[in-house]
Amino acid sequence: MRFMVMVKADKSTEAGVLPSEKLLTEMGKYNESLVKAGILLAAEGLQPSAKGARVRFSGSRRTVVDGPFAEAKELIAGFWILQVKSKEEAIEWVKRCPNPLEGESEIEIRQIFEASDFGEAFTPELQQAEARMRAEVAAGTKG
Amino acid sequence: MRFMMLMIPRGYEDAAPGTMPDADAVAAMMKYNEALQKAGVLLALDGLHPPSMGARVSFASGKPTVRDGPFPEAKEVLGGYWMIDVKSKAEAVEWASRCPASKNEIIEVRQVQEFSEFPSDVQEAASGFKEMQAAPGRGTAS
Repeated sequence: MRFMVMVKADKSTEAGVLPSEKLLTEMGKYNESLVKAGILLAAEGLQPSAKGARVRFSGSRRTVVDGPFAEAKELIAGFWILQVKSKEEAIEWVKRCPNPLEGESEIEIRQIFEASDFGEAFTPELQQAEARMRAEVAAGTKG
Repeated sequence: MRFMMLMIPRGYEDAAPGTMPDADAVAAMMKYNEALQKAGVLLALDGLHPPSMGARVSFASGKPTVRDGPFPEAKEVLGGYWMIDVKSKAEAVEWASRCPASKNEIIEVRQVQEFSEFPSDVQEAASGFKEMQAAPGRGTAS
C-alpha cells in the first residue's frame, strides 16, 4: 500500500522561511531511516503558494487566480510517498518524524489509489493502458 | 522547472470511506493524462482515497498526536496530484487549464523546491537528499 504523507503549511513556510540547520539535520536522519527501511518512494518540498496559482473550473470556463492563498493550514508545504503494509505502519513512521515546522504542525496521511481498488469499472484494457503509461513515465524520468 | 498540480475536489472532505471516482470522469481524465505523457512533461501522478480513510498526526504539544479521519475542520482536501516538468509557471497553468475537471474542482499549481535553489549552508545540511531522490527504496519495497 502506498501513502501520501503531507506536511501542512504555516505562516513561516508561506513566507518562504527555510528550515534551520538543526531541523534539516534531524530531517535528513529521518529521511535516511526511511530509505534504509526501503519504504521511501518520493519526497519533495513545495515553494510558497505566493509563487503558485489556482485554476477554477466551471463548464468550459477556466479562471486563473495567482497565489498566495489564505488558510495556510489547508495548504501543503511538502510531502513523502511511502510504501508500507498498513495505515498503522504509515502512522508509526510519521510519529517518528521530527516536528517538521518550528512551532505547531500537522501531517496528514492519505492512502493512494491503486489500479486494483477500482474493481470491474477499470477494465483489463484500461489497466493495460495505465500500466503502459506509468512504465513510459518511469522510463522518461530516469532518462 | 517542476510543478505539482494539486487536484482539490470540493466535497471530497466529507466523502465516505471507499468512495470511488466515476468511470466516465476517469476515462476523460485518462485522455488528459495521455496528453501530458505524450508531451513528455508528466513525471508522476496519483489519486488519493478520501480523508475519512486517512489520519492526521499533529505536533502541537511536542509529542505526536494521532487523529483518524474524517477531519471536520477541513474546508478543502487533496484528491490527487500530477508532477510535471515544464519551462514556466505559465506553461503549468496552461496544462492545468486543459484538465477535464468538474465545476466543484480546483487545481492548485505549486512549484517544487529544487536543491540548487537552497543557500550553501542549507544544501550542506541537506546533503544526501539528492541521492535519496535518485535512488528511492522502490526496489526493496515492492
